[in-house]
Amino acid sequence: MDSITVSDLRKYYGQVKAVDGLSFSVPQGEIFGMLGPNGAGKTTTVETIVGLIGRDGGDVAVMGIDPAQDPVGVKARIGVQLQTAAMFPRLAVREVIRLYASFYPKNVDEDEVIALVGLQEKANVQTRNLSGGQLQRLSVALAIVSDGDIIFLDEPTTGLDPQARRGLWDVINRMRGRGKTIFLTTHYMDEAEKLCDRVAVVDRGKIIALDSPQALINENFQEKAIEFNQPALTADRNLSGLPGVTMVQVEDDLIILYSSEVPKTIAALMEYSQKAGATVDDLTVRTATLEDVFLKLTGRRIRE
Amino acid sequence: MKMLWQLITANVKDMMRDRMSMFWFLAFPIVFILLFGAVFSGNGADQSYSIGLAVEDKGPVGSGIRKAFESVPSFELHQGSKETELAALKQGKRILVVEVPGKVQATIATGKPAEISIYYDPGRAATAQALISAAREILSEVERRATGAPRLFIAKPIKVEVKQLKNIDYLLPGILAMALMQLGLFGALGFVSLRERKIIRRLGATPVPKSLVLWSEILVRLAMAVVQAVSIVLIGHLAYGVTVVGNWPAVLGLVLLGALVFISLGYFLISFTKTSESAQGLIQLVQFPMMFLSGIFFPIEIMPRFLKPVIRAIPLSYLGDALRNVMVGLPTAFGIWTDVAILGGWLLVTAILAVRLFRWE
Repeated sequence: MDSITVSDLRKYYGQVKAVDGLSFSVPQGEIFGMLGPNGAGKTTTVETIVGLIGRDGGDVAVMGIDPAQDPVGVKARIGVQLQTAAMFPRLAVREVIRLYASFYPKNVDEDEVIALVGLQEKANVQTRNLSGGQLQRLSVALAIVSDGDIIFLDEPTTGLDPQARRGLWDVINRMRGRGKTIFLTTHYMDEAEKLCDRVAVVDRGKIIALDSPQALINENFQEKAIEFNQPALTADRNLSGLPGVTMVQVEDDLIILYSSEVPKTIAALMEYSQKAGATVDDLTVRTATLEDVFLKLTGRRIRE
Repeated sequence: MKMLWQLITANVKDMMRDRMSMFWFLAFPIVFILLFGAVFSGNGADQSYSIGLAVEDKGPVGSGIRKAFESVPSFELHQGSKETELAALKQGKRILVVEVPGKVQATIATGKPAEISIYYDPGRAATAQALISAAREILSEVERRATGAPRLFIAKPIKVEVKQLKNIDYLLPGILAMALMQLGLFGALGFVSLRERKIIRRLGATPVPKSLVLWSEILVRLAMAVVQAVSIVLIGHLAYGVTVVGNWPAVLGLVLLGALVFISLGYFLISFTKTSESAQGLIQLVQFPMMFLSGIFFPIEIMPRFLKPVIRAIPLSYLGDALRNVMVGLPTAFGIWTDVAILGGWLLVTAILAVRLFRWE
C-alpha cells in the first residue's frame, strides 16, 4: 500500500489557485521531495495532506485515511515539521519534546530524539535561547518524536548553514533506515538531488515533472551547460546558431548555452565573440542539474 | 488526561520562569495593599477636621464663640485673621473657615441678627456640609446661653461597641477583585502570544485537540486565582489585622466565579485583535476605567450621579461588592444574590461570544 496517495488535489484562496490539480503517490519507505520556488504551493500541499487545512477538490489518503474525514486519525500516525519554528519560549528543549511526545499514542524515547538531531548539549536550554539552526533542529525533533509512519518536513533546512544541512540530511536518511516514509518540500536543488528518491517539480500549484532526480536531468538534458557573463551578448540571437548549441537561456547578464558538443561550441563562441567585439574572458562548463531542468521547464530560476 | 496534564505542566513552567508576569500576578497586588494600607492607615473614627476661626469681635460674644469651638475635641482649630484663614482654605488646608466680624456686638445691640460667615470648600462638600451643621449647632448653643432660652431637647450620645471598620477593610476585597480581573484579562495575552508565534497552528498538526490548550490555561488561571486570594488575605491579616468574617467556601466560590468572568472576558476581547500589542492596548482600555469606576477604591455612593449607569454595568463593581460583603462583612450595595446573578450573566454572555468569535490562528 502507498503511504500517501493524492489525486487532483485543489486548494484555492479566492482567485489564487494555491494548489491546482496535483496527483501523485508515495510508496512506503521513500524519500519524496517537492521542489519549487516560494509560493508554488508546497506548504499548502503539506498542510492539506496532514489535515491542517481543508481542500477544495480531489482525494487524499494518508495510510489509507482521508484527513478530511478523520484528521485526528491521520495526525496520530504521522509526524509533522512546519515552517513555524517558534516554541513555548521558556520551556527547555527536553520539556518541549516531552510535551509533544505526550500527544502521540506511541513515541520515540526523548533522549534518542535529542541525540538524533544532535541537541544533547542544549537539552536543558530554554528554547528562547536557541539559535535559528538549533530551533530548526528542534522543530525536526518534534516531527520524529511521534514515531509516525510518515514524516512531513516543510523546508527543513531553510536558514541552516551547509554543515547543519548535511547533519539534517543524515537524520532524514536514518529515519528512512527505520522504515519511515519521508515527505519533504524544499527550494534547494542540491537537497532534492542528493536526498530524494523521487522529486516532484512544482510551479504555480501544478506538478510540471515527477521522477528521480537523475531521470529528470537525463530526460531533459544530454547536453552540458556552458555559462559566461557578457552583457553585450545577452540579446544576440546568433548564439543559438553556434555548433552543438541546443538551447540558450539568458538571465540578467548570465548566458547559459546548453551544448551536446562542448569543445566545438567553445571554439566557435571564442571566435564569434571576438568578431562581435565582446570577448568572453571567463566561462564555466558543468553538467546539467535540476536547476537547469526547472529553468528549461518554466523559463525561470527557482530562487528569484 | 496525559495530554492535559503535560499542557498544564508546560503552562505553569513557562509562566513561573517569566519573572515579569509573576511579579504582576503575585507581588503587584501585595505591593498595592502595602502602599494603600500605608496611605490610608488613618482610622476613620479618629479623624480630626481642620477648621479656621477668624474672630474680629473683641467683646464677650466673640470670646463666647471662640470657647464653644475650642471645646469640640475633633476640631483641629486654627485661629488667625480672616485673610490668613481664607488663604489657608484656598490652599486646601482648612475645610471650613468661620468668620466672626468686628461689628457683631454692635449689631446685636441694635436688636438685629448678626451675620456670621462660614466659608467652605465645595470640593469637599460632603464633609463641609456636615461641619456647617455642626457649626450652626455650636452657634445656636452660644445664642441659647446668651438669651437664656429654655432647652427642649438634650441630645445624648451613647457609645455602642462595633467592629471597627478601617479603610483597609474596604480596600482589601477591592484589591483582590482587581487582582482577579487583571489575572483573567492579562492572562489572555499568553494565548495571543502563542497564536501570534503560530505555536497554536503548530499544535494543530498534532493529534491534541486545540481546545485542550485553552482548558489547560483556564485551569492554571483558576489555581492562580486561589493562590492570589490566599496571599492577599494573608498579607492583609499579617500587616493590618484584617480578618475574614465570611465562610471560606463562599469566599472561594466568589473568587473562582470572579476569575472565570474575567478569563472569559479576556478571551472574548482577544478575538478582536491580531497582535500582542493591539491585544494589550485593548485590554488596558477595558481594565483601566473598570478599575476606577467600579468602587473598589472608593465607595460607589460618593461617585457622581451621571457615572452610576456605568458603575452598574461593570462586572468588577459586583465582584468587589460581593467580596466586601463575604470577606469583611460590609453591607452590599446591590445585594449578594444580585451580585452573583450579574456575574453569572457576564460569564455566560462573554463565554458564548468568546466561543463564537474565537480565533485560533
